Amino acid sequence: QFIPSEPPQPRRPLNFTPSNETEEEKQFRRVFQQLAGNDMEVSPTELRNILNKVISKHGSLQTDGFSIESCRSMVAVMDSDSTGKLGFHEFKYLWNNIKRWQGIYLSHDADRSGMICSGELPAAFKAAGFPLNDQLFKLIIRRYSDEHGNMDFDNFIGCLVRLDAMCRAFKTLDKDNNGTIDLDIKEWLQLTMYS
Amino acid sequence: MSGIAAKLQHSREKAQGIGTNSHAVKYLNQDYEALRNSCLERGQLFEDECFEPLASSLGFNELGPHSSKVRGITWMRPTELCHNPKFIVENAARTDICQGALGDCWLLAAIASLTLNKQVLSRVVPHDQSFDESYAGIFHFEFWQFGDWVDVVVDDRLPTRDGKLLFVHSEEGSEFWSALLEKAYAKLNGCYEALSGGSTTEGFEDFTGGIAERHELSNPDPHLFKIIKKALDRGSLLGCSIDITSAADSEAVTHRKLVKGHAYSVTGADQVEYRGRMEELIRIRNPWGQVEWNGAWSDNSSEWRYVSSDDRQRLANRSEDGEFWMSFSDFLRQYSRLEICNLTPDALTGDEYKKWAESEFEDTWRRGVSAGGCRNYPDSFWMNPQFVIKLDEVDDDDDGDEGCTFIVGLMQKDKRRRRKMGEDMETIGFAIYELPEEYSGQRQVHLKKNFFLYNCSAARSETFINLREVCSRFCLPPGEYLIIPSTFQPNKNADFYMRVFSEKEADFQEIDDPVDCHVEQINIDEDDISDRFKRLFGQLAGHDVEISMFELQRILNRVVTKRDDIKTNGFSMATCRNMVNLLDKDGSGKLGLVEFKILWTKIEKFLDLYRERDVDRSGCMSSSEMRTAVEAAGFSLNNSLHQIIVARYSEPDLTIDFDNFVSCLVRLESLFSESLSTHLFIYFFFLHQCSCIHHMVFW
Repeated sequence: QFIPSEPPQPRRPLNFTPSNETEEEKQFRRVFQQLAGNDMEVSPTELRNILNKVISKHGSLQTDGFSIESCRSMVAVMDSDSTGKLGFHEFKYLWNNIKRWQGIYLSHDADRSGMICSGELPAAFKAAGFPLNDQLFKLIIRRYSDEHGNMDFDNFIGCLVRLDAMCRAFKTLDKDNNGTIDLDIKEWLQLTMYS
Repeated sequence: MSGIAAKLQHSREKAQGIGTNSHAVKYLNQDYEALRNSCLERGQLFEDECFEPLASSLGFNELGPHSSKVRGITWMRPTELCHNPKFIVENAARTDICQGALGDCWLLAAIASLTLNKQVLSRVVPHDQSFDESYAGIFHFEFWQFGDWVDVVVDDRLPTRDGKLLFVHSEEGSEFWSALLEKAYAKLNGCYEALSGGSTTEGFEDFTGGIAERHELSNPDPHLFKIIKKALDRGSLLGCSIDITSAADSEAVTHRKLVKGHAYSVTGADQVEYRGRMEELIRIRNPWGQVEWNGAWSDNSSEWRYVSSDDRQRLANRSEDGEFWMSFSDFLRQYSRLEICNLTPDALTGDEYKKWAESEFEDTWRRGVSAGGCRNYPDSFWMNPQFVIKLDEVDDDDDGDEGCTFIVGLMQKDKRRRRKMGEDMETIGFAIYELPEEYSGQRQVHLKKNFFLYNCSAARSETFINLREVCSRFCLPPGEYLIIPSTFQPNKNADFYMRVFSEKEADFQEIDDPVDCHVEQINIDEDDISDRFKRLFGQLAGHDVEISMFELQRILNRVVTKRDDIKTNGFSMATCRNMVNLLDKDGSGKLGLVEFKILWTKIEKFLDLYRERDVDRSGCMSSSEMRTAVEAAGFSLNNSLHQIIVARYSEPDLTIDFDNFVSCLVRLESLFSESLSTHLFIYFFFLHQCSCIHHMVFW
């Protein structure tokens, strides 16, 4: 059984402050207001700038930086209203996940290579809530790792963001919890094109 | 992806009847029965974690955490406030609602009208709740929100000061339904302060799910009397009021004993023969239950002496109960505004009322693809979502006016917009076109620019306005009509909900293009390939005689960056991987000679198409050019998919460059071909099978 993270909160007015917001959350809200610009939404380019600025400060993360394509894809899987941008709650949710997965990345990089090698991968994914089978790991390594089977930080995050969103999408549609969903062609295209 | 899944699931649930009044959506997934039972079991009173008794639940500005207005407030349960609290004493009545320190009189006026219609009230306020039996400090209410009924749970801790309720309270000090209803509505809107300022029609709609019309009486509809009569026949809620010119005017009583700035209800309309002509009369009720009009046709006026004794007996009313008649012409002179809330068929049981036929749609305007703006913008107007209504039957009328009456309400879903607290409501409206015979019955063709250049509209909303809803009433001859809702200016993102109430059954549908793919297959044999191309392939492929995605990326980028007629940032690895996957028939993950030749032919076609569609020679595709280019490439897509393409592939300035253009088309083709292999996709995700997860991971 996979365990995707809890879905993000429904969109609320930005100045609707949840009653139990901590000081840290308030600060996050202020930072978001600076990052997101006038429209109060984060575009893929803005997301890339933010992520790359943050990872450049971490020497222990091996990465060639997030590509614009990977940021477009992350926005697509997270975007709740198909505007092509992320609102405050979606961004906060993404941010918290990335922070959590960064911790997992560092703690599972046993050989301190700065990368997750194919042997370290299953334990790292399991810690993130995704105990996959061998077949899926093979696919994931083919898609996200380099020719030596090592996964760097941006690919690790890109993969988990996607996997997490897919699991949530699946769960949303699998209301009776029987492990299957039906889609017609229109639904299939909408789901997969926007990812 | 997750947003799309939620949208799909929402429409599935709607189709199953979830969101109707009898199957309301549980707000924040809180289930009243379950929560109450668990409180009863534990012997504790409910404490709502989703709306806590904290300053931020009160407000953000005037009622904000540091405001002087919130000093000294404590949250108390009714059982702490009085001896023997009641949910409802006898029947819910107008006097149950006395305004507190919050500017939500609009809401209270709506609640007051509601108490006049028991059936409608019992939908909002489920009556089987009390402070006696199974009391657990929890109550629930149902509100209508953009097409769905939502069940909202609250605990009964209410804001008080000096032992008195701060906001709405009942004249009867021990009755709490109205205060709890207000709390639930505040929770739904984020906080109490969010309720201050609004229009009664908004409250009308959120409590009934009906459609509310406003009639300014200084410039009345010529058929207004008929409209009022019909509305009463249909059980509609009618409210009227007299504008105030200053705050001091509020509730001032004129010498004719009418109260300014006060919400009256209209309860009847009739005609009597008076001095040889027909006089139109209207019956009005002052919810105070006293203070009545003292002019012509009032309770004891002389006019009643000149009507037949039948009419007198039928209509005259001499008691001081707040209700009185006046002539329709006096009504137009004395009052400023009439609001009619037309109810949905499900709000009315029994045969005493005639019912509207209702249909509804939800859709979105998105920058660059479906946010086309109004008719002033002919280049993009056609891109708006389009709806068609077929009117077959004329109204049942005896006055010889042949026509089909219908009301169109276009509402913007403002939850996104309210982030800036309503300052950013879009300006919205709609236009109606008669659909010419040649399009009759067609529902699968989204009409293009030319149609709107050469046809003029048959009707339209009175104005484009920045309110939550625009609503207009029409009476048109039978036929098919196209309704185009839009924002005033193009490229404004918003979600909308549109309803049509028609006097007779009418077919109302969205028209949209079918989803289909007719991309021509390219069949190439090794013998067809020129020697020159073979030599080129040999050089590029190296000694494994196949082209990997890394090699492909290098080759493509070398070619495209030399051209100055197309704009591109170069092909990403993801796009190259998609191309290889599309053409790689033998599963090697690389392209052989024939596969590469097919890809090359495709890219040449894409390049031609791109340059041909780039009408303004900008080197990139505008999002409207993209819409037609995707069609020319062999794909027929509906509005949602066009929106997704723009959201996924466009730059901030809504242009699409060459690599994204190719990436999009390659991906569309793959997804279609994948879908052809099976009609229905069932993928076993959680069962650790991975037939389709393969696809989803790889893209």
